[in-house]
Amino acid sequence: MKQSKRQTNAEGLQVRSETYILRLFVAGEEPNSREAKENLKRLCETYLKDGCRSEIVDVLADFQSALENNVLITPTLILVSPPPKVMIFGNLSDTRKVLAALRLTGGE
Amino acid sequence: MTKHISANNEPSPPSPRREKALPKTPTCISGLDDVLHGGLPAKRTTLVSGGPGTGKSIMGIEFLYHSAANGEPGIFIAFEETAEAVRQNALTLGWDLVPLEKAGKLFLFGAHVDPQAALSGDFNVKGLLAIIEGKARSMGASRIVIDAVDVLMRLFADPARERSELYTLHDWLNDHEMTAVLTAKSPAGGDNTSRYEFLDYMADCVIHFDQRIVEQVPTRRIRVIKYRGSSYVSNECPFVITEKGIHLIPTSQVDLQHKALGSKVSSGHPLLDAVLDGGYRRASSILISGTSGTGKTTLANTFAADACKRGEKVLFIGFEESQEAMVASMLSPGIDLSPALQDGKLRIMTALPEARGAEEHLFNALQTIEAFQPDHVIVDAISSCKRMGTQQAAYEYVMRLANACKEKGITIILTNQTEGFQEEHEISGVGISSIIDAVILLRYIEVGGEMNRMLLVMKARGQKHSNQYREFLITDHGIDIADLYVGEGGVLTGVARQEQEAKEAIETRRRQLEIKHKEHDIKQKRAEMEAEIARRQAGLEAAETELKSLKLEESLAEGGRDRRGDMRVKDTNSARLKTGTQKSKRTGAGRKEGAK
Repeated sequence: MKQSKRQTNAEGLQVRSETYILRLFVAGEEPNSREAKENLKRLCETYLKDGCRSEIVDVLADFQSALENNVLITPTLILVSPPPKVMIFGNLSDTRKVLAALRLTGGE
Repeated sequence: MTKHISANNEPSPPSPRREKALPKTPTCISGLDDVLHGGLPAKRTTLVSGGPGTGKSIMGIEFLYHSAANGEPGIFIAFEETAEAVRQNALTLGWDLVPLEKAGKLFLFGAHVDPQAALSGDFNVKGLLAIIEGKARSMGASRIVIDAVDVLMRLFADPARERSELYTLHDWLNDHEMTAVLTAKSPAGGDNTSRYEFLDYMADCVIHFDQRIVEQVPTRRIRVIKYRGSSYVSNECPFVITEKGIHLIPTSQVDLQHKALGSKVSSGHPLLDAVLDGGYRRASSILISGTSGTGKTTLANTFAADACKRGEKVLFIGFEESQEAMVASMLSPGIDLSPALQDGKLRIMTALPEARGAEEHLFNALQTIEAFQPDHVIVDAISSCKRMGTQQAAYEYVMRLANACKEKGITIILTNQTEGFQEEHEISGVGISSIIDAVILLRYIEVGGEMNRMLLVMKARGQKHSNQYREFLITDHGIDIADLYVGEGGVLTGVARQEQEAKEAIETRRRQLEIKHKEHDIKQKRAEMEAEIARRQAGLEAAETELKSLKLEESLAEGGRDRRGDMRVKDTNSARLKTGTQKSKRTGAGRKEGAK
């Protein structure tokens, strides 16, 4: 884990300009989903600026996407690109954990 | 919970309403619906708990497989396996799921919970519910199995949250009228005080799966712990997983629904029939007990060969030797089983007792009986059944098999190898004597340096059997029964018997001669006696004659004297008047004269 973190950190600076593709699965307007949408929006604005393309999928409207992406938990944020793929469960209220998972944290 | 329900139901008139209130969904799993008194509660949640490898997933997939095959679509969500793994596992149990999937009757979902996933803030299982709802709607499915739901719940890492999410899931399933089966792991020891204990309270029906290793042999058990608003079999039920899925053998079937003992059926040998008062009884259980080599298998096969010749079907369940070895060894006492095998009248199934658990052995036997429909079943030997695990396992195997046969009106012959040389009275090696209708004891006895086989009918319900030992012979042309010899030295057999019989014959002749001799002797003595009597009588008669003639002489002599006296009286008449005592004077005078 530690090793991969260092690698991505090293890469991170170079690929910062590369576009992050994020997909957030929510379940309608229930509280956690609403909160997750807000948190994601703020995260993108704060840490990824222009290099962020996010997509929101409502599983209640599109269960097929949930099925294809194996999303059982809502909200789920998936880092589609750059690889490797990462899954984050929850309303994204813990920013530090989200940044760590998305390999956006500097070498603390 | 169950108590509460039944207490509520008691005062009200029972069954019609209850049945109406509780529609059930049959699982079509062999024996399970009997235990559940009809099936799973329809449109409700059933919890299947149990340790790893106890068969929970198989139960789930089998339920959906049968449902789908019957046109009832279902969804299987696997948290521990991929869809492909589920397919392959099902295939090993003989269920090809792919056609059902293609027909839209079955949906397999390998719900992989990414263990690498990061957690940030609160979440719930709405994603899963959305998938279920979407799929259920598109397929028209109302049956669902969520396998290893505990894997999903563990994500919450908080008992309170786990609980609330499970309730969400449960309520959602109920609201959507899904007939659901949730499986969850419980500690292997069967201890139900797990962290998912509340699941037991939540679900309407709880089934516990258990697997125990008893003396190296795994035995599987199923137990219904609760069933809201319904009766059920609360006993532990053994079950097996075969190449055709799960099969329960409800122990409650071990009640007495036996058919009455049937008509007599030949034992295969006329003399043995005579000893048995006509033969064995159909639909009865016969135990042939004896030490090794006393001819138990031969005796059983004598019956089998004869029954097959009459066109009846016999199933031989052998635990001692292979089919080839058994058929070959029967040739030496002149029993050829191959024609019966070729006709399909005889079927032999052999297995090592250790190869499987007792339940599986029993299941195989019952399946074969169901398919083959034999008139008679032979088990050789029940003493080997102990090797299936425990004494208890052997007992259950024999007991249930014998019961199943009796219920179907099948004659069952059990051979039992007793240990030790004189321990033959230990007839029921696995304690089954109560269900045994007839006991034939075979034993060796040693007489005059020779071993001979003996046969005794120790018990025969409803038969006036002989209770004496017979000599049991195994010849090149099958078995033979010799009439018993009861002589001075007790029971004798073999050469000793022949010797004794010869000795006895001589003795008899000797005695007869002696009697004749004595009789002759007596006759002679009687004749002698009679001659003596005659002689003596003759003597007596002679004496009497002599006496008579003497008396006559005497009377003649006296008459002459009187005449002479009279003449004398005329001369001395005056003198006689003077003396007064005429007579004495006269006598005196007469004497004087006589003397002269």
